[in-house]
Amino acid sequence: MNRLNSTVSRRTFLAGTAGAVAAPMMLSGSPVAAASNSVVVLSTGGSFTDSLTRHVFDPFTKGTGITVTIVPAPLDLAKIKAMQITGNVTWDIWNGQGTSAASGSKQGFWEEQDHSLLDLQDLVVQPTKDVTWFESYASGIAWDPAKYGPGKHPSTFAEFFDVKKFPGRRVLHPFADGNMEMALLADGVAPKDIYPLDVDRAFKVLNRIKSSVVWARQTPQLISLLQSGEADFSYAYPNRVKATNEPGGGKPLAFSFEQNLLWSDPLTILKGAPNKDNAMRLIAYWLRPEVQANLENDLGLIPGSKKALTTMSPEAKKWVPPNSNNPNNLVINMEYWAENLETLGARMKEWLLI
Amino acid sequence: MNRTINMRTRALFMSPAATIVVAILLPPLLYVFFTSVHGEALSLASFGEVLTSALFKQALSTTLVVAGWSSLLSLVLGFVVALHLARQPARRRAVLMMLVLLPFWTSVLVKCYAFAIILGREGIINNMLSWILGSKIQLPLIFNRVGLLVGMTNYLIPLVVLPVLASLLAIDPAIYRAASIMGAKPARIFWTVTVPLSLPGVFAGLLSIFVMSLGAFVIPALLGGPKDLMLSNLIDFYNGQVLDWSKASAISVVVLAMAFIFAAPLALWRQRKA
Repeated sequence: MNRLNSTVSRRTFLAGTAGAVAAPMMLSGSPVAAASNSVVVLSTGGSFTDSLTRHVFDPFTKGTGITVTIVPAPLDLAKIKAMQITGNVTWDIWNGQGTSAASGSKQGFWEEQDHSLLDLQDLVVQPTKDVTWFESYASGIAWDPAKYGPGKHPSTFAEFFDVKKFPGRRVLHPFADGNMEMALLADGVAPKDIYPLDVDRAFKVLNRIKSSVVWARQTPQLISLLQSGEADFSYAYPNRVKATNEPGGGKPLAFSFEQNLLWSDPLTILKGAPNKDNAMRLIAYWLRPEVQANLENDLGLIPGSKKALTTMSPEAKKWVPPNSNNPNNLVINMEYWAENLETLGARMKEWLLI
Repeated sequence: MNRTINMRTRALFMSPAATIVVAILLPPLLYVFFTSVHGEALSLASFGEVLTSALFKQALSTTLVVAGWSSLLSLVLGFVVALHLARQPARRRAVLMMLVLLPFWTSVLVKCYAFAIILGREGIINNMLSWILGSKIQLPLIFNRVGLLVGMTNYLIPLVVLPVLASLLAIDPAIYRAASIMGAKPARIFWTVTVPLSLPGVFAGLLSIFVMSLGAFVIPALLGGPKDLMLSNLIDFYNGQVLDWSKASAISVVVLAMAFIFAAPLALWRQRKA
């Protein structure tokens, strides 16, 4: 489960209930089917999980007889760490955020994956020894086209950070990852020179727009704050903007593909997972081109399979970045964040408090 | 002799609850203490790093200020409610008590989302004001200190009402009668009879709400702004986002110590009175 599909922010109560004091309680464990014809997948629920069930889990169970148990769980790695410490691993597959996957990889939370089950030629992002990437997504600038016509809204990060040329309130996530990169791109750093981040410079650039930023507490606010007119321009995700252009989506918004950050969503198997083999079979199924096309027609993100990219519906493809070689785009470096999220996350929090 | 029996009976009655607390609460608590000094190696490094960080200092001062203000507001508002309830006939009081208890039993999460509807820029209050004044009003009532204090106060008021009401109901009506026969005016009766005799309830309430608000987590996360980071939210940051449980535990120990520091004098005072 990743940030852009989540309906709750990373700060909400779920993370808290798995708080520091809860760790020893994990010793008691929770009941999970131990039979080998099942597999346990973590998901936070909501429409994202519904799509996975419809396009991945149900057909997988039909074809293999392996039942998929969905466990609602928070986005962070706290409970995974507790499971690893206590040796009481009850989950198989985790799909959280890319940066967390890389961090978990560094800390040895994941089982090595069997790449022989995957069609490596077909994968958009090559898997590492313990992480497979099943989809990618762009993030960038959104606005209300009824309020801001062509040329009246920012389309690149440099314009997004230019409050003089495009006055108005901006919506941002209060996280370091993404904001730092965006600030540096806005300040003219070339995408290939972004990492390692010039943190001081990034904060200086962020200072320029700080007074016109509305901080989104939860991902849906990236959209709702624009629709309600509380803000003018937002850092958002195309699948969320797509939803506003569908029946019942409220005020339709627009999204710029001129400059984007590109992220990927991971699938990992917990070290010591009870149904390791089934987990690997499910991951392989998850990445099949036909499964990927069905899934992403629904979710509106970038499939992890190259073949799926060509067989997707034209409707869904409208919301996939049109030029996969756009030189303005930046691929987020998950390994960098695995190393630096702690220090930069804390510094971002401090910066927000001042 | 009498006293010994009394102590024994007391110990007997308390032992089931005490056993549960010791068995279930103590091991994890000890584990938190252990984690706070055991990161990479056994040391007080986490405490040092946490206590000197600007983030911690800011969160600490926010926590104390928010806990202080929300306790004060809840005390004043809760006292008034308790006073009103104490003056109602028993049957009516039972009905009115429901109005205090229903929000008390409602999940704090549900209440937070309700407040989003009430306090939002397009919320009930702002829409009402806009309608009355005939122009667009968008007071910032949520995702800032105001929203946080409203949420905290709403959450804490029942915890003041219950003990204060108990104290008020325990006052012998004969004292009121005696005071008024002696010619005391209502204001004088209030300050010389009602207030002093309600103090045990007031302190019991104050103690529990202040200690509870030191550990507030959901309300600052959902109704506060980015500047309203409290200690529990900082614990969550270290626990969930950066997985530094040593620092998370160190802050937890600090919060626990604060609760003791504030609770001890009040508890001692109450014991002396008793």
